[in-house]
Amino acid sequence: MTAFTADRKNTDLKHDSGAVGYSSNALKLFMEHLRQGPETKLLDVGPVCQENIRFFASRVKRLYVCDMFIRLGRCIRKGSPVDQIWDELDYPPQSFDGILLWELADRLDDPDVKRLVTLCHTLLRSGGMAMVVVLGDQSGSSAANTFVVGQNFRVHLRPQRHLHLPLHRRQNRDVLSMMAPFIPAQSFICRPGFMEFLFRRE
Amino acid sequence: MLKKNRKATAEPPPPPNPVAVNQKTVIGDQISIEGAIRGQEDLLIEGSVKGSIEVKAHRLTVGVKGQVEAEILAANVTVSGKLSGNINATGKVEITKEADFNGEIKARSISVQDGAYLKAVIEMEREPLKGISPLGKPEEKTFSDPIKEPIILAEKGTKGN
Repeated sequence: MTAFTADRKNTDLKHDSGAVGYSSNALKLFMEHLRQGPETKLLDVGPVCQENIRFFASRVKRLYVCDMFIRLGRCIRKGSPVDQIWDELDYPPQSFDGILLWELADRLDDPDVKRLVTLCHTLLRSGGMAMVVVLGDQSGSSAANTFVVGQNFRVHLRPQRHLHLPLHRRQNRDVLSMMAPFIPAQSFICRPGFMEFLFRRE
Repeated sequence: MLKKNRKATAEPPPPPNPVAVNQKTVIGDQISIEGAIRGQEDLLIEGSVKGSIEVKAHRLTVGVKGQVEAEILAANVTVSGKLSGNINATGKVEITKEADFNGEIKARSISVQDGAYLKAVIEMEREPLKGISPLGKPEEKTFSDPIKEPIILAEKGTKGN
């Protein structure tokens, strides 16, 4: 079992034209893992954007996108129970080599996070990886963002103004606890206050 | 003045071009079709269609009022309405922010506007496999390396860097 390490030096935060941007080492490792298989299947739970679809679809065999942010937003707007969104992740068990959760957990309360994590654990193949981002205390904005991936794993945050979602800020320990069924693999701190995590299914 | 008008009306309108370049069939919002549609021109659907649609060398557009449940074969596809089914496009697939799409997309390129309601499986041409350059420094650990000790990033209630 691999232990869990943090790498504080290796995040390169820059502000490009006012937008928050950084080089994502977690994503780089995540993609390196996916590239090890010829028939890789990746699930991205959104928010979906065309840059990411192009980026990931050109690097994996099959890209599955299911925008859970927009589904969550619709549920909240209609006043419907949030737990009905989980019916959308109706893929067969052990379907994926990787799941990109981005900051979805930060938009959910604890029972729904537990449901999400259990689902992801079921959907990932043995050895598969999940990437999680949490906004943490220091990130200024509570707006939902798309983590738009560019060349050389540069990521910039694009606010999704149509999404009005709650924010449950979580700390490092909370993340480790909520992702308990997984093996923590690697984490990175990004200067705006958010953290990137990689978890692996045994 | 009168002379000028007469001259203007005397000129006959140009004959219609026998090959209509921008010819398009529209299925209006009050139309419902069940079955197979096959054609040699662009198609705009604002109504309801269930079955299969084949406009191999042309563009299919599902308008904002369109509700389609079909297997689709087209050159280019634009989705602004509700579409459930699989798209096989030789060219580009565009999903606008008004769209509600559920299905599989095989296309040369794809564009998706932020805000689109999307559940999809996407297959595009893959990049040739090439190595990813290592992270910043060679001694840095990756998840596959044996790691010495775990490091806690930030204690609850404290602020990290």
